[in-house]
Amino acid sequence: MPLSPGVWPGVLPGLPFLASPPGPHPNRDHGIELWLDEQIWGHRLWDTQSPWLVFLEFLNVADACHRQEQLLGHDALYPLRYRPRQRMFLRNILFNSDDVARIAEEQHDSRRAWETWLAHIQDTALGVPHGEFGYLRNRFHSFADFAQTVHLMRGVAVERESNKRWSSRFVFPFGPHALYVDVGISPTTGQPTRQYINFGRSGELLYAMLARAASRDALLPYVREMVAGTNQWDRLVASLQPDGEDDQERESTSCYLPYLRHPVFDGLACDWLAICRLQLPSFDGYPHLVTLGALHLLRYHLWVAATWAGRVTPPSLLCEIVTVKKTLVRELSLQSYGQNDGLSTHAVEQFVERIRGSDAWKNAKESGAFVRHREVLQEAVWWGVDYEGANDPEQLLAELKQAARKGHQQHTAQLHRGYGREIGLVSRRGTTRYRYAPTDQLMKTLLLATVEHRMEYTEFLAHLFAKYGLVIGDGEAERVLPADEFDRKAFQANARRLEQRLASLGLLRRLSDACAYVENPYRREGT
Amino acid sequence: MEDLQQTEGVDLRFFNLSRYRSAELLDRALDAFLGHAGWNICHALNAGPGEFFGPQCPIRHNLTLLETPLARRRLNDLLALCDYNQLHLPIRQILLLIVNAVLGHVSVKGRLMTATDVPAIIRAGTIAQANLYNNIFGGNLSETRRESLLVFEALGRFGIGYETSNRIDNILIFGDADEALRPYFGRYMADDIFYGADASYRAAQREYIEGTDEDDERSTTFLRMLVAQRRGLFFKIPDEEKEEMRLWELTVFRYAGEYLERVVAPLQAGRRVARPILSRLVRGLNRVFTGMLVSDDRELLLATSLAPSQRRVSRLLEERVSAEPRLGERVEIVLRAHDDMPALEVALSRDIRQLLPLHLTRYEFLSRVAEGALPSSFSKECYEDLLAFKSQLLAALAKRRAEAGEEPERGAIAFRLLEVREAGRTTVRDLELREG
Repeated sequence: MPLSPGVWPGVLPGLPFLASPPGPHPNRDHGIELWLDEQIWGHRLWDTQSPWLVFLEFLNVADACHRQEQLLGHDALYPLRYRPRQRMFLRNILFNSDDVARIAEEQHDSRRAWETWLAHIQDTALGVPHGEFGYLRNRFHSFADFAQTVHLMRGVAVERESNKRWSSRFVFPFGPHALYVDVGISPTTGQPTRQYINFGRSGELLYAMLARAASRDALLPYVREMVAGTNQWDRLVASLQPDGEDDQERESTSCYLPYLRHPVFDGLACDWLAICRLQLPSFDGYPHLVTLGALHLLRYHLWVAATWAGRVTPPSLLCEIVTVKKTLVRELSLQSYGQNDGLSTHAVEQFVERIRGSDAWKNAKESGAFVRHREVLQEAVWWGVDYEGANDPEQLLAELKQAARKGHQQHTAQLHRGYGREIGLVSRRGTTRYRYAPTDQLMKTLLLATVEHRMEYTEFLAHLFAKYGLVIGDGEAERVLPADEFDRKAFQANARRLEQRLASLGLLRRLSDACAYVENPYRREGT
Repeated sequence: MEDLQQTEGVDLRFFNLSRYRSAELLDRALDAFLGHAGWNICHALNAGPGEFFGPQCPIRHNLTLLETPLARRRLNDLLALCDYNQLHLPIRQILLLIVNAVLGHVSVKGRLMTATDVPAIIRAGTIAQANLYNNIFGGNLSETRRESLLVFEALGRFGIGYETSNRIDNILIFGDADEALRPYFGRYMADDIFYGADASYRAAQREYIEGTDEDDERSTTFLRMLVAQRRGLFFKIPDEEKEEMRLWELTVFRYAGEYLERVVAPLQAGRRVARPILSRLVRGLNRVFTGMLVSDDRELLLATSLAPSQRRVSRLLEERVSAEPRLGERVEIVLRAHDDMPALEVALSRDIRQLLPLHLTRYEFLSRVAEGALPSSFSKECYEDLLAFKSQLLAALAKRRAEAGEEPERGAIAFRLLEVREAGRTTVRDLELREG
């Protein structure tokens, strides 16, 4: 599958290092030494960002762009600059004020309770321009009502169990008033500063991908509803915040997505569209959007790595439906995981090899001057200033490869395992090493995105293979595995186990020996 | 897929063979089997003791037992319950069941007795291994064989032989020694010289009670015999003692007897189901819908949660639907038209109704939850099904509101939070924001 030309022509196979197109080089903003991973996958895919935080980051970008009236517009070309909100008043109330419940219990007189609490928060609030929280008194009939609301809101915080700092806790994204970015509070000045630890830019990449997808126009109204809709929960969150506070952040540096088009972008948008079209009640669709977002980022990571590593077809993921006994499928799944895990590092190494085979490098070799080689590397990957070794081009390249590998292993390489575990695709259940073992929850999400109304079971398995590269049944396994490793019975048993799991979730009906149907429960008429 | 036989404009009629009642098929099969002319020839042999079809012959005894009305009635109940669990048994499986029941034997070659095997069995004293009651559940077959045959897998789901109560086990284990239990032991165990307390059983029983702790193997033999005996009890307890002995506690479906007698039977006769049963089902539904241990059973609580992450507990009350007929709202158990399955009908108005088919598993689930079990511990599938039903009801509620012209108010934000007080009564706390 040939890649369409990206935003920067010349970055792709061949690498003839043309002059950069008009506009600043994407690394001008960041000044990252060794700009290699970013040329392959973009800036950046952040492995320690959980799928929910990726989604929240996406919503923040979408909200800010919507305010600028550019929601999913202009292919989100580089640079993507936006001004998200901080909402420090809300966050202090929800996550930096432990005594709300206690005061509500101790002081039964509402006026006294307000006075106690307001005095306290005035002293302890951080990151707000002034400590005036008095506006709350006009919003609630009594302090007890206020305490109850705070309790409700805390109960629906995203990832409640995490023990992150209070400025990295997030409320459920009911609407625009509930969106804000991750900040750290400086210990010296007490002011909030934007940090990229929890919001690592994966959400920004997700936004850019959707803006460049084929079904962007169909998806637009749903995304608009997510960031501009007024429902009563959003109004409840808004009631905790003062009117008219302009707490938009400054514009910051931009993310970078190398490819203008890619099949993964379209796949992501299609899946999101399918979930949105189900019109699930309240926010029931969000967990599925979160899972699918992370899944497609994972696919993007693997597919791009495979292309750069020289593979023609996108990688396949051999899944074991977990069982107690050790089976052939488990062995093959372990193998499949291992191969895919090493793909990204291989891609990085191949990138360096492409440099070796590029015209610019060959010219430098002909000239014989070592310093020319260093110039080539500086231009190509912004690296080489600290090189202290011998004046040998081969050693220079070897050191580059080593540095690239090491940097890659720290974060981008971990994405495969990190995201895979978070969405329930990768697990160690029953073994000591990781392999692909999708959970029931993940299978349900995939079913909701794939099956519109009803589909025959083997057709469903074929769709899973076509869309995500997931190999579960014998038909798909036969196409992917060499003949000596393929065992039809083992994979048929694997498919049967998935059938039983789906039946126990109420998603599958077996009508006779040869015929089973998967059904989308939200499209079913009558039970 | 929609279970219809014919539809307008299409010149085809579909007959779904699996929709015939397994219980009816069983009756006809049994009649044909037991009335077969071949048995007359066997009777005419006038065999003596120790011979095939003599007074000690297990095949003949199994046949006699199968002819008794009590055994037939219990077997019929089991297959009817399979029907009500949407598990239909084809005729081939039923014939398999009958043949295995009469001819099954644990240790004979091929696991089925032939006429020539009988004298050897009688001589070896292994008559008890031809236990009809055990054979009905495929106890004579190997585990893989049993699991591969649909009828035994289906009957195995009842768990008969493994479920028990203290009372029943006391009778089986200590019955002959205890004053109060001896009459029961006598009736069920001692009187049954073929499959009750025979010599091998008493020996194993003694070993179990008085044996040393290290001897695990002996006790497992006895425990295996107990399984067969519990199965026997299921078929031996007469109707008069059904209530006292709590017959259905020998199965996984403790409410199965009530289901057949107090739900299906009245509905089929055109009568209503008793109100306490309906209240219990409403209470079970409320517990699933709210995720809290509530005791309200006069109204259905349609509650949602604030965000999907809190799916299990739903505190925000959308609406209360009255179970008693009131202003068009009603909750009732009816018989579904096309297949005679009991169903719970929730009516929100004259035209808006939702139906929840009550198969045996769902009935058991709701009853157990109403009596205190946690929803996710009995059946995950049922739990998910009921949450899907809640979504349907909420959608129907929205439709009713739209039809009634109720507009959500723009200015005020108000919520109703459910709180549970002592004894499970719910109260509603109103939370309202000031306007402006």
